[in-house]
Amino acid sequence: MKYRLVSGLETHVELATATKIFCGCTTAFGGSPNTHCCPVCTGQPGALPVLNKKVVEYAIRAGLATHCSINTTTHLDRKNYCYPDLPKAYQISQFDKPLCEHGYVELESGKRIGITRIHIEEDAGKLVHESGYTYIDYNRGGVPLIEIVSEPDISSPEEAKEYVEKLQLIMRYIGVSDCKMQEGSMRCDVNISVMPEGATEFGTRTEIKNMNSISYIEKAMAYEYERQIEVIESGGQIVQATLRYDERTGETSVMRTKEDAQDYRYFPEPDILTVVIPEEKVEEIRKSLPELPTDKLKRYINDLKINAATAKLLYKYKRVCDFAERAIALGAGVKNTVNLIVGTLYSKLETEEDKEKFALPITAESMAELVKLVDGGKVNITLAQKTLALMAEEGKPVSAYIKPEDMAGMDDGELTDVCRKAVEENPAAVQDFKNGKEKAIFALYGYVKKATQGKADIKKADEIIRKLINR
Amino acid sequence: MPITQKEIKTLARLSRLEFSDGEIERFASEFEEIIEFANRINGQVEGDASSIREVVTRTVKWEDLREDEVKESLPNEKITSNVEAENGYFPVRRVVK
Repeated sequence: MKYRLVSGLETHVELATATKIFCGCTTAFGGSPNTHCCPVCTGQPGALPVLNKKVVEYAIRAGLATHCSINTTTHLDRKNYCYPDLPKAYQISQFDKPLCEHGYVELESGKRIGITRIHIEEDAGKLVHESGYTYIDYNRGGVPLIEIVSEPDISSPEEAKEYVEKLQLIMRYIGVSDCKMQEGSMRCDVNISVMPEGATEFGTRTEIKNMNSISYIEKAMAYEYERQIEVIESGGQIVQATLRYDERTGETSVMRTKEDAQDYRYFPEPDILTVVIPEEKVEEIRKSLPELPTDKLKRYINDLKINAATAKLLYKYKRVCDFAERAIALGAGVKNTVNLIVGTLYSKLETEEDKEKFALPITAESMAELVKLVDGGKVNITLAQKTLALMAEEGKPVSAYIKPEDMAGMDDGELTDVCRKAVEENPAAVQDFKNGKEKAIFALYGYVKKATQGKADIKKADEIIRKLINR
Repeated sequence: MPITQKEIKTLARLSRLEFSDGEIERFASEFEEIIEFANRINGQVEGDASSIREVVTRTVKWEDLREDEVKESLPNEKITSNVEAENGYFPVRRVVK
């Protein structure tokens, strides 16, 4: 029997605010233990939380960027559980009135993964277990989080990967989080069930907690899918449970079953009043959103006519896109701009992080200047590539590398003259070419290259030569 | 609304409290009285009790939310002054196996 995989993700994203959600302590990562703490975030009796405006703003940004509707009247709730990472013995979160609801994230195939809700909450402290003790550091306690809950729309590990990557991309684009999974500023809980092909009811689900790497999410899902099918095929039943994924063995194991899953006894948080967000504020945030990744990709392909493969190499890196778009706005041709970026600048930006930061000492102005020379046929692409590589290293303008005399004679008229000579002085090659020997044209390229000391744009020369021969 | 001993045991477990069987028996009947008392509020409002939230809810305005400005935290010695801190950490009995 064939089985369908049904999965939904709960993704925690740490917000990039300067202070915690309910107090003025810093959210800076690291720091000596218990030095970013105050009476509020360590749950001292009588301390009262005051909600950070920016947290609400960032959460709304995240909601709008994932096409959610915003609940302009919203409140917080207490989620009770006893564990040392939570000094108050409850987490302030949201239960029945999340800030954002009913959104979606679009995958490249066009499939939409529904977003059930996005709510705000506080992070817990960090526990270090050593010999007979557990040591608590509350620096992370009270750092603002959003929890993004997806619909069970994900039907393969690949889709889960793309969904998480898209979320990461969107959150970085809109500047609400750096989403560094290895530092814990983004973590996922994965819900999985299987159902026979054609069935209408979902199977019993399990939840794999606290995944902090996309490749582990994929592997854990694949493992859990196979495991559940095996259980069902051998006549067993899936037990609803919370699982942990062992990165070394690649297997899942039970953390707790439903029987002792906690009863959180949610109730409205009495220390924080209901928040009323003015409609104008929501509109203001909507207007301040940058173009979103999916829209950008579509525009690159449909409007700028960049080929899909190149567009996909560009759109993920907002700073690269800003750079390219500025150069284009200054008059640089789209095709040469993006090809030079992907072909030459990317060899200097090897890692994802390099591309994200885009810290090359080159301005969009000098990029535009160079590309315009290529567009106008004054500089050929090989020379442009060499020049750009130097510019990206040394940060000097185009004029430092390409002198006016290097470009002299390279306008279209002069190039036509050289091509004409090439045709006249190589009758044999021309004849061969006319007889259908396509490669014979290389001899003519060689002539042009030599005559112009490599400055000619061979692509352009090719066009001219073909025209001349056919005449 | 009858409260069973099983419910008291669940609550005790969630609150990390331990009670003797005698206590659990006593708490069950006491809890019933407490809830009975709280339930009287249902007779005091029109409609059902869920409308109480609407009555008592007060709201905070956008401009009264806190600005995202860092304030100095307390020094570690102060934060940990009620415990015997180790390297700045709060030590507790190990919570995982």
